[in-house]
Amino acid sequence: MFERFADDTRKIVGFAMDEARCSGDKRLGTDHLLLGALHDPGPAGLLGVTLDQARAAAARLDRTALASIGIDAHGFERVHMPSRGKKPPFSSGARSVMEGMLRYAMDQKSRQITTANLLLSLLDREEHDPAAVLLKELGVDRAGVRRRVLSS
Amino acid sequence: METDDLSAHIHSLDPAVGLRAVGALHRLAEQVEAAQVRAARQQGWTWEQIGDALGVSRQSVHAKYRE
Repeated sequence: MFERFADDTRKIVGFAMDEARCSGDKRLGTDHLLLGALHDPGPAGLLGVTLDQARAAAARLDRTALASIGIDAHGFERVHMPSRGKKPPFSSGARSVMEGMLRYAMDQKSRQITTANLLLSLLDREEHDPAAVLLKELGVDRAGVRRRVLSS
Repeated sequence: METDDLSAHIHSLDPAVGLRAVGALHRLAEQVEAAQVRAARQQGWTWEQIGDALGVSRQSVHAKYRE
């Protein structure tokens, strides 16, 4: 499937891998795919949020959750993580997003899997999914973004 | 928060928050590990000493953090 990715889609997956590694996660999740997409000005414009805003929202969700179990992580600065070691494998949610992208591309009879296909597949994620949680925290109007993606 | 309070509180947490906290703990642990392994190397700790302190093998810590 990866050979059908358009260049920018392939880059986004690479950025998502970096996001997973840098945050210390053991899996590449749907939230990392969202952060990866925000490295690209196209999807960032359609979603109406910046990469920095999304990273800050993810950190805020973590701090709030840690505070709920009595851990104060305020003021802890992110450190540079090693780039060695094995690549984090895709979470099952992230694999579902990949399958969804492929379906959107097939529906359009497109040979290439585009960033629009990726965004639509991410917007399909339901409650409790990490990307859906992050979009909610960012106050993104998912229906509005979907319309903008479909008309772009 | 008292220990008993915290324990009772954790049992009553919304799983959406509680599970997020577990993920955040993993991420925080990785971040603290990276910072402390770097500090230990700068202070002359061997990979074996660091591995023993972390409860992992010398090889695994070396493979992950060698420059």
